[in-house]
Amino acid sequence: MLLNFDRLGGWKWILIGITGLTAAFLILPIVFIAALSFGSSQWLIFPPPAWTLKWYEAFFADPRWLEAAGTSFSIAAMVTVLSVLIGLVASFGLVRGRFIGKEGLRALFLTPMILPVVVLAVALYAFFLRIGLNGTVTGFVIAHLVVALPFSILSITNALEGFDKSIEDAAVLCGASPLEAKLRITLPSISHGLFSAAVFSFLTSWDEVVLAIFMASPTLQTLPVKIWSTLRQDLTPVIAAASTLLIVVTIALMLLVALLRKGLKS
Amino acid sequence: MTKTFIIAAITATLGLSTAATAADLVFTSWGGTTQDAQKAAWADPFTSETGINVVQDGPTDYGKLKAMVEAGSVTWDVVDVEGDYAVQAGKAGMLEKLDFSVIDKSKLDPRFLTDYSVGSFYYSFVIGCNKDAVSACPKTWADLFDSTKFPGKRTFYKWSAPGVIEAALLADGVAPDKLYPLDLDRAFKKLDSIKADIIWWTGGAQSQQLLASAEAPFGSFWNGRLTALAETGVTVETSWDQNITAADALVVPKGTKNKEAAMKFIAAATSADAQANMAVSTGYAPINLDSSAIMDEKLRMSLPDMQSASQVNADMDYWAANRDAIGERWYAWQAK
Amino acid sequence: MALLTEQDNITAVGKIRTVRSRNFALTVPALLLLVVFFILPVVALLLRSVMEPELGLDNYRALLGSTTYLKIFLNTFSVSALVTVVTLAIGFPVAWALAIMPSRWASIVFAILLLSMWTNLLTRTYAWMVLLQRTGVINKTLMGLGLISEPLPLVNNLVGVTIGMTYIMLPFIILPLYGVIRKIDPAILQAAALCGATRWQALTRILIPLATPGMVSGALMVFVMSLGYFVTPALLGGTANMMLAELIAQFVQSLVNWGMGGAAALVLLVVTLTLYAVQLRLFGTARMEGR
Repeated sequence: MLLNFDRLGGWKWILIGITGLTAAFLILPIVFIAALSFGSSQWLIFPPPAWTLKWYEAFFADPRWLEAAGTSFSIAAMVTVLSVLIGLVASFGLVRGRFIGKEGLRALFLTPMILPVVVLAVALYAFFLRIGLNGTVTGFVIAHLVVALPFSILSITNALEGFDKSIEDAAVLCGASPLEAKLRITLPSISHGLFSAAVFSFLTSWDEVVLAIFMASPTLQTLPVKIWSTLRQDLTPVIAAASTLLIVVTIALMLLVALLRKGLKS
Repeated sequence: MTKTFIIAAITATLGLSTAATAADLVFTSWGGTTQDAQKAAWADPFTSETGINVVQDGPTDYGKLKAMVEAGSVTWDVVDVEGDYAVQAGKAGMLEKLDFSVIDKSKLDPRFLTDYSVGSFYYSFVIGCNKDAVSACPKTWADLFDSTKFPGKRTFYKWSAPGVIEAALLADGVAPDKLYPLDLDRAFKKLDSIKADIIWWTGGAQSQQLLASAEAPFGSFWNGRLTALAETGVTVETSWDQNITAADALVVPKGTKNKEAAMKFIAAATSADAQANMAVSTGYAPINLDSSAIMDEKLRMSLPDMQSASQVNADMDYWAANRDAIGERWYAWQAK
Repeated sequence: MALLTEQDNITAVGKIRTVRSRNFALTVPALLLLVVFFILPVVALLLRSVMEPELGLDNYRALLGSTTYLKIFLNTFSVSALVTVVTLAIGFPVAWALAIMPSRWASIVFAILLLSMWTNLLTRTYAWMVLLQRTGVINKTLMGLGLISEPLPLVNNLVGVTIGMTYIMLPFIILPLYGVIRKIDPAILQAAALCGATRWQALTRILIPLATPGMVSGALMVFVMSLGYFVTPALLGGTANMMLAELIAQFVQSLVNWGMGGAAALVLLVVTLTLYAVQLRLFGTARMEGR
């Protein structure tokens, strides 16, 4: 009865009410930002005295915003590729391997996920200054890779554990080389795991701000860093315009992901 | 496959990370309208004159600065810092000595001059008020610290720096010439009396937003930010009564690879013209003594150095010596 | 299969075996990355806490001996606990509803959930900053409706931090709980109904107990993540709501005191890792996909 929507009786409406309010709560800031980006008030007064597109003009007129978006994208792309590859290889080791300390190793691999990012940021900052990686793309990629890898390993090990190893063994018994069997049998079967690893890695890097603030240099800033410094220094509604554009990109990405998922399934 | 990807990643990396060439000079300041003005009045003319490209970075971060100097990997060449920090950092060996054969110090305001730093611009903490939002505006520090006479939120500078503690003591009736050494117990007691009504601003833009939206209809502000805010059409009333002055300083972190260019940049930035242009666009006062002669008389009158009648100078040497101790106590008090 | 000789089979099985024994090597790239760019720098930072300004435990004495810092610790825990409780209280009914709703409705809610999760963290926080201020939309609306006469203080205080952090953490509890409730066999609840249990009894004696492992692991996750949060408390909280992560940043950036920064980092690290160990002991690593 409790797990049957139609037989919940009056409780049904309570659940619908809570869910509806929560959905409204979740969507409110997103809608609001979009509205704010068209307001004319420089000081974020809402409702604004008039509506305007000038913040979008300012966004596209300032090459630094677009540059930052480009940097963010290329860093996130590199992080995604490396994170999925390293994560895939490590996941095979973790799922298939039989060595002492395997569980400990698995726990260790997930630690960056729960470690407060600010600790890592401060530590890496001091370290990178010494070895000259600060303010370089390499430094950024490494820093983001450290926090993205756990998501990759988590998604891929989950998928691998759900995959029946005997199918791969059968391929090997039928004469395929182990590598061939993995590439042609196993990888396609765990593609959903690889896919979510890629999505999570990309988003982790794309959205990451704390590490990025420390890693950034005058000539190398990601979009979140640009938003952060603008938030702290100028507070102009250009931030709202930039954010709205980001939301549009996000929605586009989500639709793409949904379509790809459908494609993978069929 | 892995190899190709890694190689591709590395090549991409090298290609991108060499974007800032060695010839570029990095100037770091506090961002916002002030840094925009510094870029227009100092950096752009400097670039067209010398051909040296100036990269803007910010905001100034003392933790980053220290880490850079300690690690011997300095990416900031000229940094705009608070005056008391400049004095302290110079003594701590974090800064390069300035080359006064390049920088002409005879024309610079001696109040803001040390072996390691020159003034950058000079500003006052003044009382600002959004006239549209309240019926009466506070005129003195005592008014601003009186939440019965002036109920509502008021805003103050969040970080530990000269300004707020002095204001609290002045509001409590301490004579301007008896401010130093600061009576911290008394200052915090005075601050306690309005603590619940304080909204802290962390940067100039936020202070403007708080005042414009009447989130805090009055408070203590950098004078230049009020000038800028008034230009956007907000009805701002400024009270210069006992305005508290402090100066930013230009410094060169120890170990910079562009020392020579950094000295040239400072020389250009502190020239009479550059300082006058900066003052025109920000409402802050120039630190070059010749600047006022070439400025518009009317505008001249709106700058902090024309408000000297009731002006209170923050004591940078006192702050440099006690900066850390005050800072610790300040943040502990805020968190209480 | 019939085409292969006995010998072929033996070599093939042998191949499968050798691959297995080599498997440790596969984890080496990831391990190297973590050792060099994670463990090493963090240990180096922690070492500074006992080496700066001079060798000894002075930093820890200062940190643990001061009521101000203790208050920040306490505050970090109470804010995290509050956020966890609020998130759980909202998340459980929502996850429950999502698990049994007609799928067309559920997919709309999921889309909103994912959109909020994928929207830039700073953007969301920035939106709340403006929404919650005294002259912000929420206060204006409430005053317009005549529900309040004075603006409510919603930002620069505990309320602001709680709203902002709950907003961020909700998906992390709803998504895994949804999975847990989906897996519960409706037949168990039907059986309970047949035995005469009321709805309330079925909820408190069956549904909640069955969902408890999911709730505990989700709650631990949210709690641990909240402990280390930096951006949201910094932008939505007041100075009296300072949390540990912000204190670390303040030590390093404003006070330029790496020793104290390292010490505070160690405190945060020890607490986090302890809770992580509890989580692993209780649930293993499998349940962490909730994040």
